[in-house]
Amino acid sequence: MPDREKFPVHTGGVENFDLESGRYMKVWQGPQHPGVTGNMALELVTSGDEIVDLKTHVGYLHRGFEKLMERRKWIQNFPLVCRICVPEPDFNEYLYAAATEELAGIEIPERAVWIRTLNLEMARLTSFLMWLGGQAGAFGMGTIGQWTVTMRDFMLDLFEELTGGRIYHMYIVPGGVRGDVPQGWFSHVLTTLKNVEKVLDDIELVLFNNAVFKKRAVGLGVITPDMVDYYGITGPNARASGVARDIRKDRSYLIYDKLDFDIITGISIGVDSDIFGRTRLRAAEMRQSISLIRQMIDKMPEGPVHVSPPNVLHWKIPAGETYLSAECTRGEYGYYIVSDGSDKPRRVYVRGPSYTHAVALFEHMAPGTNIADTAGLMVSLHTYPPEIER
Amino acid sequence: MVDLKALRAEMDKRYKVIEISEQRTDLAFLECDKIDVPDAVAYLRDHEGYVHLSFITCVDRLEDEQFEIVYMLRNHEKKHDLGVKTKIDRKNPVMDSMHNHWAAVATYQRELREMFGIEFPGSPGVNRPFALESWAGPPPMRRDFDTRKYSEETYFPRPGRETHDPAEHMKKTQYPGRADL
Amino acid sequence: MSIKDIIAPFAVWKRAFEKPWTIKKPIDDRPGADRYRGFHKNDGDTCIGCGTCETICQNAAIDMVPVDGVQGDGGDSGLRPQIDYGRCCWCALCVDICTTGSLTMSNRYVWTDNDPDVYRFIPGYDSKEWDNAETGYSRPEGYSLLKEERVEMPALSVEEGLKSFVEMIKGYSAEQAVKEADRCVECGICVAECPAHMDIPGYIRAVREGNIDEGMRLLYETNPFPASCGRICTHRCEEVCSIGHNGDSVAIRWLKRYIADQVELEDYGKALPRPEENTGKKIAVIGAGPGGLTAAYYLRMLGHDVAVLEARKAGGGMLRYGIPEYRLPYDQLDKDIEYIRGLGVEIRYSINVDAESFKNLEKDYDALFFSTGLSDPYKLGIDGEDNPRVFGGLAVLDEVTAGKDPKLGKTVGVIGGGNVAMDAARTARRYGAEVTVLYRRRVVDMPADIEEIEEAAEEGITIIPQAIPLRVEDAADGKVGFVWNMAEMVDDPDGGRPRPQPIKGEIHTFVCDSLISAVGQGTNLPYLPEESESGVAVKRYKPVVDERGQTGNPGIFAGGDIVNSRKDAVSAIGDGHAAALSIDRFLMKKEA
Repeated sequence: MPDREKFPVHTGGVENFDLESGRYMKVWQGPQHPGVTGNMALELVTSGDEIVDLKTHVGYLHRGFEKLMERRKWIQNFPLVCRICVPEPDFNEYLYAAATEELAGIEIPERAVWIRTLNLEMARLTSFLMWLGGQAGAFGMGTIGQWTVTMRDFMLDLFEELTGGRIYHMYIVPGGVRGDVPQGWFSHVLTTLKNVEKVLDDIELVLFNNAVFKKRAVGLGVITPDMVDYYGITGPNARASGVARDIRKDRSYLIYDKLDFDIITGISIGVDSDIFGRTRLRAAEMRQSISLIRQMIDKMPEGPVHVSPPNVLHWKIPAGETYLSAECTRGEYGYYIVSDGSDKPRRVYVRGPSYTHAVALFEHMAPGTNIADTAGLMVSLHTYPPEIER
Repeated sequence: MVDLKALRAEMDKRYKVIEISEQRTDLAFLECDKIDVPDAVAYLRDHEGYVHLSFITCVDRLEDEQFEIVYMLRNHEKKHDLGVKTKIDRKNPVMDSMHNHWAAVATYQRELREMFGIEFPGSPGVNRPFALESWAGPPPMRRDFDTRKYSEETYFPRPGRETHDPAEHMKKTQYPGRADL
Repeated sequence: MSIKDIIAPFAVWKRAFEKPWTIKKPIDDRPGADRYRGFHKNDGDTCIGCGTCETICQNAAIDMVPVDGVQGDGGDSGLRPQIDYGRCCWCALCVDICTTGSLTMSNRYVWTDNDPDVYRFIPGYDSKEWDNAETGYSRPEGYSLLKEERVEMPALSVEEGLKSFVEMIKGYSAEQAVKEADRCVECGICVAECPAHMDIPGYIRAVREGNIDEGMRLLYETNPFPASCGRICTHRCEEVCSIGHNGDSVAIRWLKRYIADQVELEDYGKALPRPEENTGKKIAVIGAGPGGLTAAYYLRMLGHDVAVLEARKAGGGMLRYGIPEYRLPYDQLDKDIEYIRGLGVEIRYSINVDAESFKNLEKDYDALFFSTGLSDPYKLGIDGEDNPRVFGGLAVLDEVTAGKDPKLGKTVGVIGGGNVAMDAARTARRYGAEVTVLYRRRVVDMPADIEEIEEAAEEGITIIPQAIPLRVEDAADGKVGFVWNMAEMVDDPDGGRPRPQPIKGEIHTFVCDSLISAVGQGTNLPYLPEESESGVAVKRYKPVVDERGQTGNPGIFAGGDIVNSRKDAVSAIGDGHAAALSIDRFLMKKEA
């Protein structure tokens, strides 16, 4: 039994507060609100401007993907999966393709594995850029958002050149990747990375040496190490509190074992586990992604990039089940796929990190904070509602 | 990684293990009886190092008239994923609630109730809708719920779509005189 | 809190002095990347309307629709994809799987209109401004969802093959057959081209799923000669196979053979239906070739009594007496024939029908079908062709079928370029002769199947094209000389095919032990009474029939080589089937 002082049971509590008494007020933040990352409703009960209760409502982005995927052939699902998590669609594509290949017993060429890793790191960087703008914007610093979204746009230009699509790449497919890297693309990447680094330098200067940001973010949204396992916290949220876990190191999928990088934790960069610390940590991870991308461009092997599966119109995959996870910007992103030997998946379950962060954890952390800080707190947990209800 | 034989031996001492199978060196699946699952999961968490819950989900085994519930646990030290599976009766789907094990369990159980219709008595807030507001139909993730049929009956498509089968069309246009062959 | 924390944020002002990142252009001026997945383009000339794009579209955004001005023909269904941009997600699965490569995408991405209905359009036919876009997405190099290479068919080597008349093609194993069957996309374009309109996608699927019984059932729905056709069919289906546009066509003929080879004759009854109840009607069939026996089969299945009258000692027609055993072993042909006979079809051999007996048949039977083939060899039309060392192609093949050595000698010349010429040449080769084929036109004009010509060349047979026959004369040592004039091809001013024109001074003599003349066969209908008596009209030596094989006399039908222009077994089978169904309707007074 967990310590019910530290970890109370949350029953969804507006019923617990007498709204007629004049001491409490119910406020809806969302589902359309600039202070909410995506479409999710926060039903807040406030006493003055202090939040006493939070009830989250998800479902505004429920598109029924898991059911849709059961009704389509294996190859027809890769255009669907990228839409489950909009800011970093590549993880969906990679996990679906890799799980399908594992169940089908297909091995893909080495260059394809490298290109996939490169795509994932670029996706991490692109997603972090958007997040950084959101985090600063949640505390009123809209300028940062302008800069990061512009840099994100240049990253999307790179994706457009490589894959043919800006947001929904549909490039990582079962069998490898859809087409080799075009001429000159690597040098475009390196140029864009230089520009991103310059902007990151500027952002770090004006955001991390910023009295307002420090006043608001330091000490807010503290995650302690003992919360990590109980609330199922993964990713930078956990690492900021000092827990050194990174799936890229733990499972060493794709070619991460060939790359040189260390797990960044709150301890290793000397920050506390609050919003300020998490922002610093994610900025460090952005630089880590840039370094990884550079390493990969340097070491990429030659070779084919695709091995064709059996005729995709009637491709039956042997019965079995598997679970694959990857380290996306927010933590553990996983695909659990069950096949029953037919030409369609039996069950595809998408595990998004925001499932635990945005519901149980957020409902635990919000009471006691100021209503003005709700947006900042939510963004600092880096939640994306689409992956909660799929 | 993890010595599955030793793990099974330890589990067998306390709970009946129906089957344990290895998918990869870092992924295994363990099936036990429905009645044993809450204790087995707690044991794995407290004594075997599987402190992290990745997810809880369900696979509808319509042909066996069972729901297969999967609890995916992770042992960070040994870097091993373990899926604890159990089968429950589909006609009367009830499962013990494990909401004291982890904070997120209540949310997973809420979703399973809505999507599959599985009851978790005592789970906090389990009757609250998860993703579907004012949904009056059957639990939609069940395999006998035909979403296409539902949408065709509930909504109306924009008129003007009509397709032709190439072989049939060629029969009509290229060899109508021998279409009966 | 330090001074730096107050001052540092003002550094954002430096952006005011830097160049803005905004591109000051209307969005139309920002082209998509070279590979951008934009709006669709379709090359109408290359598109064959196979519908594979529709099958793979994951959101059911594509319909196959007829288009004004697009006339389908063999190999083109006449349909074209219409894409609904309300459902399309631009995933380009349709472009990736397009069998001919006609469907691609431009890199355009801006299209605004007040009318929502315009967004369902037929690329390539509803003209759009991006139809000529040079950049955009097309299937990347080295990326393919279809298997371009056929599973190789194990066969005897040329040396092994020449030693005897053992069948050269060994047949697919189960694993090979399933792998080859997997290449099919089930578009169905082949069905129209097949003269018998077999359900080819259906039986390929049966192979893929391992359902041999279903495969047999599907084969017999349209073709009672699967073991034979599975070996020697002219496979017109393979010529229009959609996979064949960018790779090897699916090995449809070998897959048909695979199904028939899996089942022993005594087990046919387990998979195949039984004939219907007896109708009491009787039909006489003249000719036990593929045409006649097919008509007999389908009439028997409909419950009628059938008697087949065959002049030769055994059935099969050209399948037995024309095609050598190394292509179609007699026991396989016998398997097909024996099954038909076993259903209750009466086959009488060594019966020669003349005009008298024909009239008796008309009286004694309720309907008649004749399919007697082309047995009258054309003459060379040159001096000396009655030289004893000149043999007819069919006559040589007849002797070999009867098990006799044709005694052609060490060197043989074959005059002609059709299948009979190739069969005769390769047969002579197996008796140890050096063989040369002389043909009056170019190799590309030869009417023989391309595979026959290639295999003949592999077996060491020399082909001399553009050799106009002049005369035959005796030569020294009991040999014979074939005098011919080399020709040059001259274009036909009326647009027909080029004609051979003798070159002055280029006269040669080819000396050999035997000459085989195989320049085609014509009809021989001695049994057919005058039109005034039978009601059957004959024009240019061929009986006049409609699409169903019905002659001027509603109870008399004809089919096979004597009426159709394609002159292969499967066309005769198609004719026999059509005639049988029409005879049934005629006799039972059914509606069409």
